[in-house]
Amino acid sequence: MSSILIATISMGGLAAFFAVMLSIVHERFKVEEDPRVEEILSCLPGVNCGACGFASCRSLAEAIVKGEAAVNSCVAGGSSVAEKISRIMGVESGSVKKKVAFVRCGATLSERSKKATYQGVNTCRAANILMGADTACLYGCLGFGDCEEACLFDAIKMVEGLPRIDLSRCTGCGRCVEVCPRGIIVLDSFENTNYRVKCSSLDRGKKARQVCTKSCIACRRCEKSCPYEACWVEDNLAHIDPRNCQLCGICSMVCPTGAIVKVG
Amino acid sequence: MARIILILLGAVLVNNFVLRYFLGICPFLGVTGRVSSAIAMGFSVTFVMTLTAAIVWPINHFIIQGLHLPFLEYVSDILVIASLVQIIEMFVRKTSPALYRALGIYLPLITTNCSILFLALFIPLRKYSFLDSIVFGFGAGIGFTFVMLMMSAIREELDFAEVPKSLRGAPITLITAGLLALVFMGFTGLLGSA
Repeated sequence: MSSILIATISMGGLAAFFAVMLSIVHERFKVEEDPRVEEILSCLPGVNCGACGFASCRSLAEAIVKGEAAVNSCVAGGSSVAEKISRIMGVESGSVKKKVAFVRCGATLSERSKKATYQGVNTCRAANILMGADTACLYGCLGFGDCEEACLFDAIKMVEGLPRIDLSRCTGCGRCVEVCPRGIIVLDSFENTNYRVKCSSLDRGKKARQVCTKSCIACRRCEKSCPYEACWVEDNLAHIDPRNCQLCGICSMVCPTGAIVKVG
Repeated sequence: MARIILILLGAVLVNNFVLRYFLGICPFLGVTGRVSSAIAMGFSVTFVMTLTAAIVWPINHFIIQGLHLPFLEYVSDILVIASLVQIIEMFVRKTSPALYRALGIYLPLITTNCSILFLALFIPLRKYSFLDSIVFGFGAGIGFTFVMLMMSAIREELDFAEVPKSLRGAPITLITAGLLALVFMGFTGLLGSA
């Protein structure tokens, strides 16, 4: 009987001692955390793509709760996520302007000329350091698919050495924009115009024509034929102003190399 | 003095908890992906181990043996370990949220880390004095940290190695752990029975 009593008292005392210790430490090291952070985090895609400008989905959730970021900051999640978050935060969501990636190069493997045989590391990054490796064009796609590897949403497939972007899957997070060593991928919202210049070459017409059959040769036909003054050529490359473009498609028809295409 | 150094060396190298007794394998395989979090985990375990040794010894000496209650040994050990882990968890969460996130589930899992319970049960078996226990607990923690550091450094290098496809991930990690354990078997008998 007495040993049961001793055991109960000693263990009870020990437990009480640790309970007091724990409560003291708990008071001393209290962390105030808003439960909404976890709630918002569970709505976000959770891939930490960084398109919102924050390092991770968690840091965006924290920023939204603090009011430092808008509820529709998540580009990848789109309007549905923004709506869920706005319900948690109790504010209007607004709409998320959808942006998708666009590759400013239209030359497939067979359409661009080779200047050498390349046997090095099979990444665009390595090839770009070696002056583009086997690709003769100094501006266009190198075709090793760094963007395909970087895409978290399976939206990029390399087809004939050129990234093909699945517009239904692309969330506009911009990871491909970051990894492309030649900077030919841009984020673009296809709201006002669907005509785009699918070339990045700043070479003069003759040089551009030598290395690629698809490149813009700065012939200015689009500039001259556009009835709305939406096309112009600058630095040997055609540009289209989405604010003026009326989607007539004349530029695409007159372009001798097919560098102006309709997207979407 | 020589005895203390022997206990320390014995705990760190010869009788290393992870690679000799195969205790604490869970964080050894789970948190060794990156050197920084492995070291943080190692020091957390070292902290818990040293404090456990320091608290378990008087409890064992005065309550368990003093009041003749040997059947309460496990219960009291678990009480001590669980409380200490709770304290360190609150401390890490307050001082370094990034570290708290990096350690993740493995931090509360120190509670169920067998190496710490083993330490608490081993101390009365060896009849260590109070100072010896603390040194032993500290040494065991340092040994754990040391192995965690080695493993994580190797695994970081392995990320760049061309591992055959069927061995990638867990298999190559287990093979590495086995090879490390083989190396540590070389210390067997170095300090006699210490």
